[in-house]
Order: sequence, then structure tokens, then C-alpha cells
Amino acid sequence: MNSAWFLYIGFAAALVFIGLYGLLAMRNLIKLFIGIEVLSKGVSLALVATGFAKSHLLIAQAITVTFIVVEVSVVATALAIIINIYRQTGSLDIRRLTKLKG
Amino acid sequence: MVIQIVLLGGLVLFSAAAILFRDLLKAAISLAFASLFLGILFFLMKAPYVGAFEISVVAGLITVLFIVTIALTKMEGNVRESRAALWIFPIFFALFLIIDIAVMKSLVGKIPAVESAPESGTFGQALWGLRTFDLVGQIGVILAGVFAVLALFRKRRKDE
Amino acid sequence: MAFWFIALPLVVAGLLPLVGKVSKKVLPDILTNLVFVVLLAMAVSQGRGLIAQGPAVFDLSWFGEPLNASLTMDAFSLLMLATISLVSLLISLFSIDYMDHYGSKATFYALFLIMVAGMNGLVLVTDLFQIYLFLEVAAVASYALVAYGLEHDELEASFKYLMLSAAASAFILLSIAVLFGLTGSLSFAGVAAGLKTLEAKFAVGLCSAFFILGFGLKAALVPFHAWLPDAHPSAPAPISAALSGLLIKVSGVYALTRVFISVFGLTPVLSTVLMYLGVISMVVAALLALGQKDFKRMLAYSSISQVGYIVLGIGLGTPLGILGGLFHLVNHALAKSLLFLNSGSVQMSTGTRNLQEMGGLGKRMPVTAGTTIVGSLAIAGVPPLNGFWSKLIIILALVQAGQWAFALVAVLASVLTLWYYLLIQRQAFFGKLNEKWASVREAPFWMTASTVVLALLCVALGIFFSLTVKSWIEPAADALASGVRAVLAGLGMINFVI
Repeated sequence: MNSAWFLYIGFAAALVFIGLYGLLAMRNLIKLFIGIEVLSKGVSLALVATGFAKSHLLIAQAITVTFIVVEVSVVATALAIIINIYRQTGSLDIRRLTKLKG
Repeated sequence: MVIQIVLLGGLVLFSAAAILFRDLLKAAISLAFASLFLGILFFLMKAPYVGAFEISVVAGLITVLFIVTIALTKMEGNVRESRAALWIFPIFFALFLIIDIAVMKSLVGKIPAVESAPESGTFGQALWGLRTFDLVGQIGVILAGVFAVLALFRKRRKDE
Repeated sequence: MAFWFIALPLVVAGLLPLVGKVSKKVLPDILTNLVFVVLLAMAVSQGRGLIAQGPAVFDLSWFGEPLNASLTMDAFSLLMLATISLVSLLISLFSIDYMDHYGSKATFYALFLIMVAGMNGLVLVTDLFQIYLFLEVAAVASYALVAYGLEHDELEASFKYLMLSAAASAFILLSIAVLFGLTGSLSFAGVAAGLKTLEAKFAVGLCSAFFILGFGLKAALVPFHAWLPDAHPSAPAPISAALSGLLIKVSGVYALTRVFISVFGLTPVLSTVLMYLGVISMVVAALLALGQKDFKRMLAYSSISQVGYIVLGIGLGTPLGILGGLFHLVNHALAKSLLFLNSGSVQMSTGTRNLQEMGGLGKRMPVTAGTTIVGSLAIAGVPPLNGFWSKLIIILALVQAGQWAFALVAVLASVLTLWYYLLIQRQAFFGKLNEKWASVREAPFWMTASTVVLALLCVALGIFFSLTVKSWIEPAADALASGVRAVLAGLGMINFVI
């Protein structure tokens, strides 16, 4: 794998880190979901960079496009849940959602 | 190479900003900018189709969905994020970057890969020809999303 | 033909809103259940003939023009398809009565059908990315289904489930990206072949770790189980049954097994990791189940524990171990669905899931009490029910492979399981009838009918276990075990105990 790949993957790893940090440290439900979005960016970057490094860009693009379609569905569902939570409890604070204890 | 690194840096910067901004609207806009940078990066990587898709869908559609949600939950939705989380982030991130760069540098040339034949055909051929069955999956996931939204926003009668 | 397993549920799901406008409840009921009857009939009648000569590859074509898409059905896939169809049929029969008061039945059925289509797709494809894709189809449907009742608990549980599940999916996809980079291919055969020629221990290790993280979370293995005890109790009872009985096994155990055995091969390191994960889940979850006062929460922890058994059996890697693991997968699907459906019956009649508030329900709800006993004993592994045989096979396989410590822990965990199941029986169904429930009635027809069928199946699979094992489970285990043997032979480690 050529060194350009490592550069891109390094940045993709940074995005994954930022996304996970958001998931762990944020309290607002919407912010938590932004963490997932950043995670998704990292994944798309990794996919396209891999395709780029191996000159398999067409397949990589097809995969990434499908992945983005999946992402849209997940976003729509998650935001619908968040809106419902807001309507039910009037708050977007994850700390209020502690009725269930895992 | 320089411009790619600038774009990558911008991408990471705006993504971090999207997480760290207190104001949700600013966070959503940062996310949109991050998508924009990613899309341009894709164009420079000779991946125009996914670049266009990323910009129009993620920077466009998803940002709109976020803004609609933020608008619908704006009034009492203000949540105080922990101050500590915001200040600790740069430290952890810097630490991570150091480890990241070190790992990547040490792995250069150590990851073997199968030689790949050059690709032929067009993007259309790849999507419709090589990855045909993915389209069934796409239909499935789109249906799932549509029905999920329908189910979650359905009218409840009072006696239910 | 295999394509119908995916296409039929999707098409009917797409049509359901229109149907729902015409007839709010009756037509969706009939249509959905008909779909499952058809799928079950296909799986049972035609399936075995098709795979008699080995895995059947179905090349799809669009009105005569061949498409570059193919589905592969081998004995393992067929076993999963049959289980999915059977349990889904009974769950949707149960839903005829249970989902009456939730509203928008057509949308519920549509989401359920999409989830089943996703699961069916997952077991039929031979391409890493398509496994991810159909996993997501089922997952998105399940997020909405968990939140279906739109109450506080359900929304909270669904949100946490969504967050963790989306993160897990991201890691799965990252792993797929790296594998794509290494081998230039996404199909099982392509990646496996590519990996054979490469010396890429670090990358393969990293990918395996990411897969275990991702699929392990979907299967709710400890320590990735945190979402399950919230999600499964809060969801409507038929969905709890579908999630515990099917989804965690298909998107977790099946995907994990298929990817590791077909692509990486079950190396000794991997086998050890899986066995430890299995045993930890088995024990930790069983202990956590003991203290639960909520009926469904206890069942949820029990699911995590039983998945531990399944992973332990499959992780062992010997043909007998894989056999036991797969058999337990089927048994648990039947028994756990039964138990969750019954919890729904109890919740509908009494309005509570709190075990301490119940008491003496057996007098008023005899059928529910009876079938719950059958389900509990099946999971706890009491002869001659089905769970006994599958657990026995797993323990025997462990002993045969010389893993005495694991075998002992498995036996002890079984005893623990029996104990907490008997506890809830006593608390909920026997004892003095709490006056609150003096006027409680047995559950409506479809709910009791479906649970009775499940209970009968548990008994039948137990009594006729050798027939079941020979005709369904053994071919599936063989299909997997030959994959294990092939890879190990390639690595020169063939003296694994057979």
C-alpha cells in the first residue's frame, strides 16, 4: 500500500477518534448523533482512500454511495426518535434518560 | 499533495468543531462544511461520483434534516455540555494524533496488498453491473427508513 | 428461488400502506402471515433438495438477462432461513392480537417484514459489503420497532440501541475497507484467497478485532451487551421476541461465524478469544439475571447468557461443538421467543412486568403458565426438552476437546439458569393469587395459539432430537466444519480433535 493510503487512513482514524469522543463526552442527544455522523465521515474517507490506493475507485465509489444511502436512513430514524424524545420529556439531555440502567 | 493535506486538515477541524460547538446550529453548519471539504477531497482523489453524492446528500440533505430537528427542539432543548469535556478534548486529541502518526509511519510499507488489475468501465457499469445486488439492499434500507419515520410520527388516537 | 426470501417480504412491505388504507387490521394480518407461511414452506420443502449436492448458487437474472448478482444457500443458510421463517410466522400470529392497541398495524407489519427481509438477505449473500448492507436494513427496521410504542422507556432504549449499533456498524465497515485494501475483493472467496497469499498478521488481527467488536455488539456478547437489557424489555413483546430470538443471532452470531469461518478461518487464537467471550457472557449475564425483578429484563439477560453458550460451542471449532452451538441457536430462538411472547400476554392481562407484583397467575392464565414452564425448562436444559440436548452436546464437545474447565463452568451456568427460571415461575405463576389479578383472563386466541405451537416445538425437537439433528443441524454444522478443516489444513494444524 502506498504511503498516500496511510496518510488518508491516519486522518480517517482521527475522524473516528473525534466521533467516538463525541459519543462518550457529549450530553445533548443531537450532539451525540453528530458524533455518529463524524464517525461515518471517517468510514467513507477510509473506503474511498482504499479504492484510490488500489485503483479500484469505481467499486469503492459504488460502495461508498450505498453507504451514504444507509447513513441517510439511519439519520432520518435517529432524528425521528430524538424529536419524539423531546416531545415526551421536553429535554435533550442524555442524563435525563436514566430510567433504564443497562 | 499539499492541497489534499489542507483539505484533510479542514475536514478534521470542522468535524471537531461540530462536536465541540455549544450552539447546535453552529455545530450543524460545521458538519456541513466538513462534508464540503470531504466532497472536494473526493473530487481530487478522482472519485467525482461519490464527491458529488457526498456534497449533495451529506452536506445538503442531512444538514437540512439536522436543522429541521434543531428547529423543532430549539426552545427548551438547551443542554449544558460539561465544560471539562471541551477543555480535555485538545489534550486527548493531541495524544491520539501522536500515536496515530507514529503508528501510521511505522506501518508504511509493512502492509502487503494483492496486486490489483486496473479497473475498466464506468461508474455506472460498476454500480449496476458489478454491485447489482446492492441495489436491493438500498431499496430495503430506504423502505426501512421511510417506514421508521412513518411509524415514529404516526397519529395516536386517544384510546390507544 | 432464494431471491424470493428477500423480495417477497420487501414487496409486501411496500404494498402494506396501500392495503392498510383499505383494511386497517384484517388484510395486513392475513397478508403478513401468508408471507411467512410461504417462506416457511419454501424453506422446508424445497430447501433440502436444493442443497443435497452441496451449496446451491442462485444466479439472479432480470427477465432472462443475467445479472452480476448471486445468492448462495448452503445448509447453514437454510437452517437460518427455516428458523427465521418459523419464528417470524409465530411472532406475527401473536401480533394479530397483541399489536391491536398500538395503532398503525400495517406500518408495524411492514417494518417487521423489512427486518425479516434484511435477515434473510444476510444469510444468503457471500459478499462482505452485502452482509453489512442487509445487516443495516434489519437494524434500521429494528430501531423503529423497538421505539414503536412511543413511550418514554421505549424511546430511551431505542436511542441508546441506535447509538451503539451505529458505532458497531462503522467498525465493521472499517474492517471491510481494510480487507478490501489488502485483497482488492469483497467476496468471501476473493478475500479468503487473497489473504492466503499475504503475510499480513497485523492487519488481519486488526480486522478480526474490529469484527469481533462490531458483530459482538450485535450479538450482545459481554462486554458489548449494554444495550440489550434496556432494548429488549422496553420493546413491544413480539419485537422483544424477534430481537432476542432472531436478530441477535442472525446479525451477530451468524455474521460472526460466517465471516470468520469463510474468510479468516478459525485459527486457535480466534477460537480461544471466542470461547472466552462466550463463557464470560454465559456467567456474567446469568449472575445479572438473578437479581432482576422485571420479567422481561431477566429474560433479556438470559438471552445474553444463552448466546454465550452458542458462541462457546461454535468458537470451540470442533464439529461436535459447532453442532451443539447451532442446535442451541435454534432451540433458544424457539424457547426465548416463547418466553417473551408470554411475557407480553402477562403484561397485556395484568399491566405489569414486575415479578413481585405478580403471583398465582397460573390459576387464571393456565395456558400461559404451562407454556412458560416449557420454555423455561427448555432454556435451562431439562430433559427431554430441546435445550437439554443442545447444551449436552456443547458440554460433551468441550470435554472431548479437553477443555474441562470450560465444561465445568458451562454445567454450573446451566444450574444457575435453571435456578433463576424456577424462581420466576414460582413468583409469577404459582403461589397465592394476588387479589389484584382475580379477574384476569387468559390471553386472546392467537396469542395463546402461537405460544402453544412454540411450546410443542420445544417438546418435539427435544423428543425427536436425533431426527432434527440428523436432517437439519448436522448438514449445517458439516458445512461450517469443513470450512474450518480446510483452513486449518492449509495452516498445517490438522490435528484438532475431531
